[in-house]
Amino acid sequence: MTPILYFDNAATTPVDPRVVEAMTACLTAAGEFANPASGHAPGARAKRLVEEARAAIGARVNAPPERILFTSGATEANNLALKGALRARTAERRHLITTRIEHKSVTESARALAGEGVEVTYLDCDAQGIVSPDSVRAAITDATVLVSIMHVNNEIGVIEDVAEIARICRSRGVLLHVDAAQSAGKIPLDLAGWGIDLCSLTAHKINGPKGIGALYVRRDVALAPLIHGGEPELGVRGGTLPTHQIAGMGKAYELADPALEGARLAELRDLLWCSLAALGGVTRNGCPERSAPHILNVTFRGVDGTSLLCALDDIAISQGSACASSTPEPSHVLRSIGLSDALAQSTLRFGLGRFTERADVERLVERVGMELKRLRTLAGSAPVWCSS
Amino acid sequence: MDYSSQVLRRFRSPLRAGVFAAEMPGTVRGEAEDRSLNIWVRFHVHAPGSRIEAVRFEIFGCPHAVAAAEWVAEWLEGREPSALTAWDVHAAAHALGVPTEKLGKLLRIEDALLACWQELERNGSVVDAERGG
Repeated sequence: MTPILYFDNAATTPVDPRVVEAMTACLTAAGEFANPASGHAPGARAKRLVEEARAAIGARVNAPPERILFTSGATEANNLALKGALRARTAERRHLITTRIEHKSVTESARALAGEGVEVTYLDCDAQGIVSPDSVRAAITDATVLVSIMHVNNEIGVIEDVAEIARICRSRGVLLHVDAAQSAGKIPLDLAGWGIDLCSLTAHKINGPKGIGALYVRRDVALAPLIHGGEPELGVRGGTLPTHQIAGMGKAYELADPALEGARLAELRDLLWCSLAALGGVTRNGCPERSAPHILNVTFRGVDGTSLLCALDDIAISQGSACASSTPEPSHVLRSIGLSDALAQSTLRFGLGRFTERADVERLVERVGMELKRLRTLAGSAPVWCSS
Repeated sequence: MDYSSQVLRRFRSPLRAGVFAAEMPGTVRGEAEDRSLNIWVRFHVHAPGSRIEAVRFEIFGCPHAVAAAEWVAEWLEGREPSALTAWDVHAAAHALGVPTEKLGKLLRIEDALLACWQELERNGSVVDAERGG
């Protein structure tokens, strides 16, 4: 059987063997398995590994390591940022601003807060997927506590101008939370320089393990805890620190250098797009000039996306975000940039990663071309709406 | 989405997909669509006498829809034209393992078959065929 081609790196990535090695060293009696909160020598050694990982993560995103708290992933980090920031404020300031193209962990958290009486404003993006900083400025009121926006959109790969949005938020005394699950390690992050207040990070998008993430919390930002326990991280999150997960995340952040990987991924993405464009009847979604190097979102006119996906069962790709691709509803992100339901259903997301090679891209294009032709032939003289 | 082997086989190799190579007397066409369900289907039914001799189809839709179109096209060949009104959508869905939420797509396929039947009625082929004429 021909091996599966993996083009779903925006959903998750395989763990780098060097990360596995770092994790394995924390699991058995021969390694640093002890509880990092324990006062004995093995505990101290485990704690040192945790702090080394914190430092590696801080260095990668330019944030003080001591302001990084570990979570179970970016979903928990997003929940903690939104719920923690809003619940920590008084009843007079209960306004949240976010966008219509966020990850479900943000939109669902916003929805939960709305149920608690928080007023939520959802900003639109333009047809390129860009959220205008001016729209953020216009939406801020005296009651606004927090603006939450993703750095790189997980479906279309557009990079939002979080530096400018941070400047606006700072000038109005409003907190800014950035979901950087798709950008950390892929493009440079400067959390301290940009003045970001809260930032969600994850490990498994950059060849680290699943089940571990982090929230950067700027000094003096108050959060109400979601998980209570003894000796909580930053006074906010209880629970025993999973040394092996944290060591893996630290190693992943040490290895994920945008300066080294970004250009290579962008080159492969551009090769993929040029080759797919040559097949005809395809459209690239999201602003090409502000695109993360590892995500390419393409609409294939005249074919049903689920059929194309099924026909390409030797290739791992998705119709949208991994968290929503099993549902028949068209993607909320694609709808937000103005795609019809038919076109949204005919759209696939390609995610490139550290182990993607040029030969993989060439084989992918060959397979897509073959199945596209077959399915378009099957559709025969289908009416215009099937491709518009 | 998991697909049954029945669906995958017909989706990958739909033997009756396409159109007839040439216009043939006794051939009717019928189509149906539902934009909200993302399906369009057109059948070409060649029934010059008392039997359906061949069926072809064009389709825009999901693998379940493609497989169901192929399934019914195969089932129709050799039957009397009135079979166009007798396709059991639920039996087909069960045989193919089509989930309940996709039944609406199969109903559009049924609509396209009924459109073929109505076309046969309009041009008089049905009467001749059913009388054995």
